[in-house]
Amino acid sequence: MAMRQTPLTCSGHTRPVVDLAFSGITPFGYFLISACKDGKPMLRQGDTGDWIGTFLGHKGAVWGATLNTDATKAATAAADFTAKVWDAVSGAEVLTLAHKHIVKSVHFTKDSNCLLTGGNDKVIRIYDLNQPEEAPQEIPGHTASIKRALWCHDDKHILSASEDRTVRLWDRNIPEAVKTLSFDTSVSSMEYLADGDVVLITYGKTIAFYNAHSLELIKTIVTPANIHSASLHPEKDFIVAGGDDFKLYKYDYGTSEELESYKGHFGPVHCVRFSPDGELYASGSEDGTLRLWQTAVGKTYGLWKCVLPGESAYKKVDYWSSCDYTNKHKIWGHL
Amino acid sequence: MKTPVCVVRLPRGPDPHGRGFDPTSPRYLALCPSSLSTSGEADPVALRTEQRTRAMMRERFLRCLISMANKKIQFLMYEKVKVAAVFGASDIDVLNFQVSDLQTPIGVQTEALIRCQDVISYSFDM
Repeated sequence: MAMRQTPLTCSGHTRPVVDLAFSGITPFGYFLISACKDGKPMLRQGDTGDWIGTFLGHKGAVWGATLNTDATKAATAAADFTAKVWDAVSGAEVLTLAHKHIVKSVHFTKDSNCLLTGGNDKVIRIYDLNQPEEAPQEIPGHTASIKRALWCHDDKHILSASEDRTVRLWDRNIPEAVKTLSFDTSVSSMEYLADGDVVLITYGKTIAFYNAHSLELIKTIVTPANIHSASLHPEKDFIVAGGDDFKLYKYDYGTSEELESYKGHFGPVHCVRFSPDGELYASGSEDGTLRLWQTAVGKTYGLWKCVLPGESAYKKVDYWSSCDYTNKHKIWGHL
Repeated sequence: MKTPVCVVRLPRGPDPHGRGFDPTSPRYLALCPSSLSTSGEADPVALRTEQRTRAMMRERFLRCLISMANKKIQFLMYEKVKVAAVFGASDIDVLNFQVSDLQTPIGVQTEALIRCQDVISYSFDM
């Protein structure tokens, strides 16, 4: 029996949510960080959306946020011209890295020793977090703001997407880009999947997939709306995407067929990411909320519960939360 | 007509009274037992002394904040800023001080919040 998707809304931000990232799977589950224009990035439990803490310290909109694999460190990029590194367990600020302009993107290496930053001053920087006073390695080349810079190929290469309408592949030891992809329009988002060596790039209404070494096109999918962000399932079964029309779209990666679309957000969707286990995906929107969506609708996972036929037709569950602003919720289970 | 998937509860929202990172959570206790590195973890006697000292310092700091209430404080801040204000209260994480009658070069602010990370030192008469 087909079920209707029930997205879980995570509130708390007061301005648009512009970036989000999941950690890897840790002994304590996996975690989610959200970057918001209110300057207060938040850490949440990844499978439930429960708020864990807010990183306080930035003096401007936070444009980018990331977690390291074991969710012990967080990094944020902000309009106050700094990138900050945080202890993701205590919430304490560990490092402030001053830049010359708005910072848009931050990314840890797998061993968490280096941080990659990129922003409006057009220069990619690599910081050694064990020697933060040392000047970062700089990789100039882009002719406009950098939207996103990611480590790839076991942290030997860097992929960067810029407002100069290029995506470039760099070797950190070589000053010139190894490969460059040019577009007719701005690239809205970029993701890298190590397993399969795939780069996902969105621009206009297109979701495109490239080989991450050769930057050769694998396939494209054209969607009904301008897409701001898309994510590929870890097992490469599905793609989810969101953009200007407020909806979330789900596509089959193999056939490029549109499987589902979901309404729910009250504003454009700025970021979408699959969880590391692929069981859910999170979306962040102009409406200031994050929403969690099930990949397999109806499955028991996290806060979603599969109600089997034969269970009582109406099951009333009273729920108090000391952390909520609201009072009792009554949640009804239907057959 | 599709039935909606049931939900056990809604995601918990932020606590209005603090910035979170619950120090009693299993993850915190496992990964972050102390915010400052402890000198002799293996030695229970040294640990006890350290804990006692920490508790004493914390109590002193909190009593200092209490004694500051409604007093005129001189703040020395970054960028050679020196301002005076009447202290009201601190927030729980000591991130902001609520002050009144903040004397600034461009006028008096009746009510203001001073960001603690901007403060180098402050002094007052007891």
